[in-house]
Amino acid sequence: MEVTLSMDPLFLAWSYFRRRKFQKCSDLCTKVLEDNPFDQAAWSLKTRALTEMVYIDEVEVDQEGIAEIMLDESAIAQVARPGTSLRLPGTSQGGGPTPAIRPVTQSGRPITGFVRPSTQSGRPGTMEQAIRTPRTANTARPVTSASGRFVRLGTASMLTHQDGPFINMSRLNLAKYAQKPNLSKALFEYIFHHENDVKNALDLAALATEHAQFKDWWWKVQLGKCYYRLGLYREAEKQFRSALSHQEFVDTYLYLAKVYQRLDQPITALNLFKQGLDHFPGEVTLLTGIARIHEEMNNITSATEYYKDVLKQDNTNVEAIACIGSNHFYTDQPEIALRFYRRLLQMGVYNCQLYNNLGLCCFYAQQYDMTLSSFERALALVSSDDEQADIWYNIGHVAVGIGDLTLAYQCFKLALAFNNDNAEAYNNLAVLELRKGRIEQAKAFLQTAASLSPHMYEPHFNFSVLSDKVGDLQSSYVAAQKSEDAFPEHVDTQKMLKTLRQHFAVL
Amino acid sequence: MPEVKSVFREVLPKQGQLSVEDVPVLVLCKPKLLPLKSVTLEKLEKMQQEAQELIRQQEAAHREQQEHEQ
Repeated sequence: MEVTLSMDPLFLAWSYFRRRKFQKCSDLCTKVLEDNPFDQAAWSLKTRALTEMVYIDEVEVDQEGIAEIMLDESAIAQVARPGTSLRLPGTSQGGGPTPAIRPVTQSGRPITGFVRPSTQSGRPGTMEQAIRTPRTANTARPVTSASGRFVRLGTASMLTHQDGPFINMSRLNLAKYAQKPNLSKALFEYIFHHENDVKNALDLAALATEHAQFKDWWWKVQLGKCYYRLGLYREAEKQFRSALSHQEFVDTYLYLAKVYQRLDQPITALNLFKQGLDHFPGEVTLLTGIARIHEEMNNITSATEYYKDVLKQDNTNVEAIACIGSNHFYTDQPEIALRFYRRLLQMGVYNCQLYNNLGLCCFYAQQYDMTLSSFERALALVSSDDEQADIWYNIGHVAVGIGDLTLAYQCFKLALAFNNDNAEAYNNLAVLELRKGRIEQAKAFLQTAASLSPHMYEPHFNFSVLSDKVGDLQSSYVAAQKSEDAFPEHVDTQKMLKTLRQHFAVL
Repeated sequence: MPEVKSVFREVLPKQGQLSVEDVPVLVLCKPKLLPLKSVTLEKLEKMQQEAQELIRQQEAAHREQQEHEQ
């Protein structure tokens, strides 16, 4: 302790900052500031430390609230041509896997191998679906506005201080700070990331860019970020374009592409990424961006091509490996998928999702010795009930595969015990119930599954078959139609509808 | 590969019609690979959880204080 006491506190604080011990750094700066409230270096360092604590990559953050989704005015065409919109995932000709093989999300896209903050939302078609889609990571409730999570984080960061926030925003003279380039950038990041006060951040950025005579690309990018958060996408686009004319920068390309994606112009975003690749050949983030857009447009084949390009540049890219792996799994090559997931394991990824995927791949690649131990590890690593439910659901599949229907029944029941909204488990449970001959129970489960996730075709189709068996042709027909809506190419549904129509014609 | 003589002999009918009745069977939902989480998402979740935990603690402390005052 004697050594630290004799050291210059500001130097020590810097050292903490470099070692990413932000809390200690901030505490030390507070002490320095108590002695001398006008110490700009300590003040600036503390803002940076506080920012770093809650910093998240702005490129990745993209949350649409219900209002943004349902009351979207920025779309150019309400009915977009096929292959030009992110909103109609089924329209591309890319030859994605059918829902008969690969499960789909609420928005009708095949499930992806990698989840980012923006992939969680999807774009539900109706208000009812929008309300039901889980939007944040942990709660099943949707965010009421785009800033839901940001607001919560902002208040939380203030709660940690007993005597109010570090910087009182309302008493800040922004014009004064805007003229000090060495302070203003740290202050801006603090306001933007820590306080989540986009309006004040915008004011500061506007003043600062004026002070820099509109020549500093950094401020223009920040202005664009603020406009994006405020939902002023065209203004954001202008700022980013202007910043690009000053200085070519990968981040700026990514932000600009984000704007175009929000405006539902995937083709423009793709062109932009390709322009970026001309300036920065082989840039991984740009390649990943292209792959993501292809994936969102349900063009899995080209997405995989681009993910492979990513891996050529950076062979430890988790997203690319996971996406290619899941694609192999759902194109009937579990043994190749297994190799990709094993690679992830070698790289040090260690979580329940990976072990669950390994377990499934092992089982379908007929490496039975590893299957159950993988699932056991996955169960030991879960952090939430939802994950636990998903893993039990998958173990249920293994049980079905080996013919142990009692175990399967118990697994699906467990899945439902952990997550009462797991529609897939309801559907599979219904199938098992029907095997036992309990028709009423099966019917109830199927109806629950269908109401929980109307985007899946399985419960509708099963209900149709079941109703047909018991002679309730009308319900059977209605359910078959719903199944057709969810999955138009499903052959069995088509047959079902055809026979039912014949029946009705005879009557 | 030397041919192994099997005890069982396969039966391949050469005459007659083969017919299979195509009955609709119930379909199971498919196994679900879980998507891995990006670093940003993990950090967001962690921060959210910590924030919620903190709020819960502070509320509990607050409540205790109130009870103490009563």
